[in-house]
Amino acid sequence: MNTWHDRRTLLRHLLGRPADRFLLVLLLGGTMALWLTLRTFVADDRPMVEVYHHERLLAIYPIPEGSEEIRFIAHGDLGPSEILISGDGARISSSPCQSKRCVLSGTHKHLGDIIACVPNGILVRIGSARAGFDGIAE
Amino acid sequence: MNVLTRPSREQLTAQGQWLALLLLATALHVLEASLPSLGPWFKPGLANMVTLVALALLGPKAAFNLALWRVILGSLFIGTLLTPTFIMSLSGAVAAAIAMLLAHRLLPCLSLVGVSLLGAMAHMLAQFVVVEQLFIQQAAIYLLLPVLLLLSAMTGWINGALASYIAGRIRHA
Repeated sequence: MNTWHDRRTLLRHLLGRPADRFLLVLLLGGTMALWLTLRTFVADDRPMVEVYHHERLLAIYPIPEGSEEIRFIAHGDLGPSEILISGDGARISSSPCQSKRCVLSGTHKHLGDIIACVPNGILVRIGSARAGFDGIAE
Repeated sequence: MNVLTRPSREQLTAQGQWLALLLLATALHVLEASLPSLGPWFKPGLANMVTLVALALLGPKAAFNLALWRVILGSLFIGTLLTPTFIMSLSGAVAAAIAMLLAHRLLPCLSLVGVSLLGAMAHMLAQFVVVEQLFIQQAAIYLLLPVLLLLSAMTGWINGALASYIAGRIRHA
């Protein structure tokens, strides 16, 4: 009886008040609008992998076709981060940061995807091609 | 002549509750740091649930202090004090606490669920602004924001409901 009452009380809390539900709808609507707005800035082009250290662009590579694999070492605040770029996309394969969240986030290949290693100040972004080059690296 | 007055029983009870909540929040902060990552920069926000309970039971000042101290103590335990992770946690926790205190004070029509929802969104927004301004300096990171805001809304809602339920149980105990 008591457990049943507890469940009902918890369910009542989970439903929230009407003002809570209104706020949720408002915030979800705002988030969707933000997402659609941001997507319009991402051009529908050939994906390129851009590697940054803070605001400095270190390298741009196209996502290769076939089995080719590009290995790039980005020197960050803590040390070198290794970035692997293949037909599957780009990933950070090793990093000197403590949490390794950047490594665990896996491979990304869609336009607008990013991998950020905050402690090391390294950002890998899948952007769109602006010119037909094979790759630029510092 | 200054005379030291003994604190009242109610004051001692409130201080004891605050300390117990601080220890619980710190433990949850450490637990969350050791859990497998659910995605970049995403945590379920269990420790923030304790801030909400403190807000409901002890008031805004106690809740704000609790949010601040649990980040400092939690970071001491996991060894991230004064690192970028600490700065992200602190900015998120302070922004969430301010948003929740303001919502609690200015929007009485909201329950703890709505207050928690606003806190979760403020937490995520503050983290993005801090990362973009201090660590990455790339506006591209905002492309991740909508997805993480959606996840924050989900966890904020659930945490708010749980905090509301727990605060109700403690009040009636």
